[in-house]
Amino acid sequence: MRGFLAIYRRELAGLFYGPLAWTLLSLAFFANGYLFVFFLKSSGGDVDIAVRLALGQSWTFWALMVLVPPLLTMRMISEESRTGILEFLLTSPVSDASVVLGKFGAATTFLAVLWSPVFVYALVLGGLGVSPDTGVLVGGWLGATMASALFCSIGLLTSTITNTPVLAAFAGVLLNLAIVIAPQLAGLFDRPIVLEAVRRIDVLDHHRNSFLLGVLDTSYVAFFAAWTALVLFLTVRLLEARRWK
Amino acid sequence: MISVSHLTRRFGDFTAVDDVTFHVEKGEVVGFLGPNGAGKTTTLRILAGYLPATGGDAKVAGFDVLRQSMEVRRRIGYLPESVPLYREHRVIEMLQFQARLHGLARDVTKRRIGEVLEKVGLVDRQRDLVGHLSRGLKQRAGLAVALLPDPEVLILDEPTSGLDPLQRIEVRNLISTLSTRHTVLLSSHILSEIEATCPRVIILHKGKVAADGLQSSLVHGPGHVSHVRLEAVVGADAAAAIALLRSIRGVRDVVDRGRLGIHHQFDVVCDEDLREDVGALAAARKWALRELSWRRPTLEQIFARIALGTRDEVVPPASAAGANPTAVSRSPATTTATGASTSTTNVPNGAGAERAPAPTAGASLPISSAPAPKKIVYNLNPFDMGAARDLGKPKAVDGPTPTAAEKRAEESAGG
Repeated sequence: MRGFLAIYRRELAGLFYGPLAWTLLSLAFFANGYLFVFFLKSSGGDVDIAVRLALGQSWTFWALMVLVPPLLTMRMISEESRTGILEFLLTSPVSDASVVLGKFGAATTFLAVLWSPVFVYALVLGGLGVSPDTGVLVGGWLGATMASALFCSIGLLTSTITNTPVLAAFAGVLLNLAIVIAPQLAGLFDRPIVLEAVRRIDVLDHHRNSFLLGVLDTSYVAFFAAWTALVLFLTVRLLEARRWK
Repeated sequence: MISVSHLTRRFGDFTAVDDVTFHVEKGEVVGFLGPNGAGKTTTLRILAGYLPATGGDAKVAGFDVLRQSMEVRRRIGYLPESVPLYREHRVIEMLQFQARLHGLARDVTKRRIGEVLEKVGLVDRQRDLVGHLSRGLKQRAGLAVALLPDPEVLILDEPTSGLDPLQRIEVRNLISTLSTRHTVLLSSHILSEIEATCPRVIILHKGKVAADGLQSSLVHGPGHVSHVRLEAVVGADAAAAIALLRSIRGVRDVVDRGRLGIHHQFDVVCDEDLREDVGALAAARKWALRELSWRRPTLEQIFARIALGTRDEVVPPASAAGANPTAVSRSPATTTATGASTSTTNVPNGAGAERAPAPTAGASLPISSAPAPKKIVYNLNPFDMGAARDLGKPKAVDGPTPTAAEKRAEESAGG
């Protein structure tokens, strides 16, 4: 735990020391704000629909989800492996799991902040007398954060595989894209078994049918937690395996 | 403090560390010496807990580096060659991060940061970004980070690599001060660093321990003899001079290295510096002296013999190229250079001396009548191209390019 906290703090600080985090935040805040106004207009003033669109019902949300996490995580292990900092961390009295979890936690926190402007929008709308449903708002944000956690873990996995950050980001984007468009691709096969299999691992569906409805279903929480834990476990194992190469 | 037994590490088919065994006692400063690729870094990484060993055991402070890795990591300060520090952090932030990794209490952290900054001389630069530090200062910052938890064992991989001579001296002095408090294991392929810093040396070659011991015992080991070099006019009867030299108390042998013009050169093999006795003999016999020097084998020469597999005598480039042309022309194929060896550190080698028999007085030519010696260039760094290069074959270079006027003169003479 001590090691996790130390690395978590370092990574979070490290993100904000560089220009990438500020650039991503600026662009995402601008896009979120612009799109929220657009969603509000297109929904005829229904704030709940606008919140749902901003936090998972629109393709723009998933486009950000596919692109931003790999950009955040691409350097976290691959770059440090190249510069030797990973050697420093892995010879410190902290476990490999603490190193991975610290980095993962920092990236997920950053994305949680990235999705948080909806609370500001809700406050502003509340001041105008049209508050969105709290369940939808909090559930949507929590679902977005949990989905971000899964995508961040995938980004860390690809960052562990290669020592080239750009390649790690590219592989991460491809994997994320595959997850997002898997339901559409499964439709092409028109085989019940494939459709059922994909439905069970459909990230979009699990986010939309629970969190965005303002319902906190533990099975849906467990879905994201389990997949994220599995990918993180693989990342830790891969990190250990690097020592044997 | 450090116990390594039959340590082996393979990378696929390549064996980087091959059955290495050594022990380091508490408070020792041990230098790991070896050319690039000898297995130094791999051994240090295994000890630091970064790499697992393929076979054998390694223990630090009684804890197994693989099975009790956390215990080992708490007790070591490891500074890899690349000096891994976050460029975007200030020096003090890097130290605070290290303190958090080691779980140091706040008051201890504050005290230790002050102590290590003082020790490495970075008190004034603690607010500087690591990325803005020079290579030498960065090295010092890396040392401060490694020292922060006050480790029992300090493992430094090439701590002076990439530094300029002044920075090297600074880091070397710093390491010397650390030896009072920590067990230090440091690696280098720069022999002078090890010679200056580490009383005990472990020479690695192709993954194996080629030599292990105190510098003094290594340089005085079997086959490594010291001698007095005498160059004097002794007349035609060199055998009589040799007999006289042999009669000096303490002389083990006298090697006749042949005649150089009117002078004769002898190596008086002995364990102690007998220059005064030899000089007194020369004065008594009225021998005109040109050289009387005390020569001892250096670690560098021993290392070169191990690393390059050569048993040949080391001839300094200066004497080989200019001052002593006949010595070079006598046996150029048996000469080699081993870095910054000076004329006072050469050592006679039995094999080399045998392969370069002294010419008889009649056979040696006066310098003036000898053909102009070909300029020979010796590479002063024997490690830059690996041991595969045949250092026994000196590289000849052309003389100065003829001027246009000389060319015209040659053409007109030819035409």
